Amino acid sequence: MIATLLRINWINLRRDKVALGLTFVLPIVFFSIFAAIFGGMGGGSGGSGGASATKIIVVDLDRTELSGRIVEALDGQEALSVSTGPKPTEEEPAPYTRDQARGLVRQGRYPAAVIFPAGFSETFGDFGGGGKPVEVIHDPANPIVLHTISGLLQAAAMTAAPDVLMEKGMGQFEAAGGTLTPTQRVLLGTFKGLLRGGGAASADRAGESATSEAASSSPFSGLIPVEAIDAGKNEEEPDAKPRSIVAYYAAGIGVMFLLFSMANGAGGTLLEEEERGTLERLLASNVSMQSLLFGHWLFFALTGIAQVTLMFVWAAVLFGLDLWSPNHLVGFAVMTVATSASASAFGIVLAALCKSRAQLGGTSTIVILIMSALGGSMVPRFIMPAFMNTTALFTFNGWALDGYLKVFWYEDPGASLGRAMIHILPQVSVLVVMAIAFFGAARFLAKRWEAA
Amino acid sequence: MTNAFSVRDAHKRFGETPALAGADVALRRGEWLGLLGPNGAGKTTLVRAMSGRVHLDRGSISLLDVAFDGTPAHDEARRKLGIVPQEIALYPLLTVTENLRAFGSFLGLAGRELDERVDWSLSWTGLSGRSNEPIDQFSGGMKRRLNIACSVLHGPEVILLDEPTVGVDPQSRQRIWEMLAELREGGASLLLTTHQLDEAQNVCDRIVIIDHGKTIASGTLTELLGQTIGTVRRVTLTLDGTAPKSLRERGFSIDEDHDIHREVEDVAAELPAMLGDVSDAGAVVTDIRIDTPTLQAVFLHLTGRELRE
Repeated sequence: MIATLLRINWINLRRDKVALGLTFVLPIVFFSIFAAIFGGMGGGSGGSGGASATKIIVVDLDRTELSGRIVEALDGQEALSVSTGPKPTEEEPAPYTRDQARGLVRQGRYPAAVIFPAGFSETFGDFGGGGKPVEVIHDPANPIVLHTISGLLQAAAMTAAPDVLMEKGMGQFEAAGGTLTPTQRVLLGTFKGLLRGGGAASADRAGESATSEAASSSPFSGLIPVEAIDAGKNEEEPDAKPRSIVAYYAAGIGVMFLLFSMANGAGGTLLEEEERGTLERLLASNVSMQSLLFGHWLFFALTGIAQVTLMFVWAAVLFGLDLWSPNHLVGFAVMTVATSASASAFGIVLAALCKSRAQLGGTSTIVILIMSALGGSMVPRFIMPAFMNTTALFTFNGWALDGYLKVFWYEDPGASLGRAMIHILPQVSVLVVMAIAFFGAARFLAKRWEAA
Repeated sequence: MTNAFSVRDAHKRFGETPALAGADVALRRGEWLGLLGPNGAGKTTLVRAMSGRVHLDRGSISLLDVAFDGTPAHDEARRKLGIVPQEIALYPLLTVTENLRAFGSFLGLAGRELDERVDWSLSWTGLSGRSNEPIDQFSGGMKRRLNIACSVLHGPEVILLDEPTVGVDPQSRQRIWEMLAELREGGASLLLTTHQLDEAQNVCDRIVIIDHGKTIASGTLTELLGQTIGTVRRVTLTLDGTAPKSLRERGFSIDEDHDIHREVEDVAAELPAMLGDVSDAGAVVTDIRIDTPTLQAVFLHLTGRELRE
């Protein structure tokens, strides 16, 4: 009896390819995605095999030999990829200004910019805490980058300028003079502690150590004082409403559930029509296949618009998302129409691919969860390795999320409505092209429902 | 009489499998035609071809004397065609009226015409009292009636009905036949596929039987009988006691129950003589049964199979 039941269940499972995929393939794929994100591909704990270097901007306003050495040391860190100016179009391209750097971080092009202020080298190595702070303009959506840069700055200082540190340290020691007073003892202790950290060791080791220390302590302490600046804060209008990180989650969750809704809605309804016999009935009447697909697509695109709008209005009312400013509202409307149109067409194409609602349910679960994981709906893309970030560009979620984030997060607060729309034009264009491509594919695949 | 629907020499293959191999069907105007055939004979393919859902490899179809060729004339003629599917192809969460309005719209009706036809359909199906109820809890018979109504809202001249009474109880079936009879009285031509041979025999003017993708017989029941098993009746006489063997010499056969049989062309003319023969043999007749040749027998004779096989 039991053996027979086992056999029947095994045969059923073996012949149901979607169930097999859900049981054995999806967990492995998901594990692989998250292992690649958090573990680095094949690198084990802390491995760097697939991890991408964090791209940052460095603006050296000090322009001294010392600041140059530290910038060079920062550039030498494996964990960082430093850019000091726009791509060279001339022999000696002008370096970024502070405002340019801040704008690029604000737009999400870089997660952070390090600004060495004028006069930095004069106060460098002041163990009394009087050093001029280095500004780190950062994207608060990425909570890792500030700590990483803060730590790596300390490492760069140790490796690039141990002589300066020693010289400044001894100078302060001599200034205190005579037998060691309690103040001198404190200074000496601080100095010894800093050197014990491995100042003369390799840059990589120092960097790792400093990073881990920085991660567990305040980014504002250390050899180089750091002043963290939120790139989204409007410096011209300090009282302006701050950006809300809620936008990130509203977009991520909203897009993923939009896909599920569309697969079950647009796709499910179409297959239900087939199973119920109404599809055959409609096609035998005056309804063309184009009209049928378009009707379903349009309804579910409108439903998607309503669904996403409800989520963002909810986020605005309960979580303070700034939805109502003109640039946000229009940008949101454009993105939502493009995203819903594309998601609805995606649902239709899935339906045209699948033979039954059960098959659609399994297939859509697999496809949507993988796209959501790769596209950033589950884990922010900035912590993904470089190759995964590239992969995200092949997913629906990646483009939709980028568009929403450009509207609500990586915007230029002073931009005109026109410029704000141009800002999201690439994402909107890709989504519209996806909608057309999905609909075209669905129309092609729907030939199986047409007259034989 | 011109044809409402005409299929000539229809051929269709699906891959290596021939579905139609020379089927001919002619539905005359105002006629009720039964299309019969065992499972796999090609009925569904033929009906789908007549619905425009299957393109023939060879042969021709014309509706109201207009060829199926995709021209505007063909599209116009197709508007006069109603197709009743075998499945209950309705929207279960919609009410009766909502279903009627939806399918009426798909059939090209709008405005006052749609309102009038919906009212007519509610009355015709006897569903007026439940017009605002979702149909998912309706009985099979009610859904069947609505299923038919949704296909004839536009008042088609030609109606294809694929198993319109399958799965419904006898009372509902009777109600459906009455509804269809009304359509016929209104001048519609009906082509019906069914597994209910007795019903086909009762309601259809003519019968077409197809097997292995081609038409193997067509005509009225009398014509089919004439073409196949003939029109002879089998008369059975039950006797009060054992049948005398002498009756065999008078053309009777005797079965193990001692009932005696004879096949006759004209019952009225030959029955008195039969009774006289029995009386002369000294036997007493206690019961008489006359078996008329049926469509079932014709079907079995032609296809070698029961319809349900």
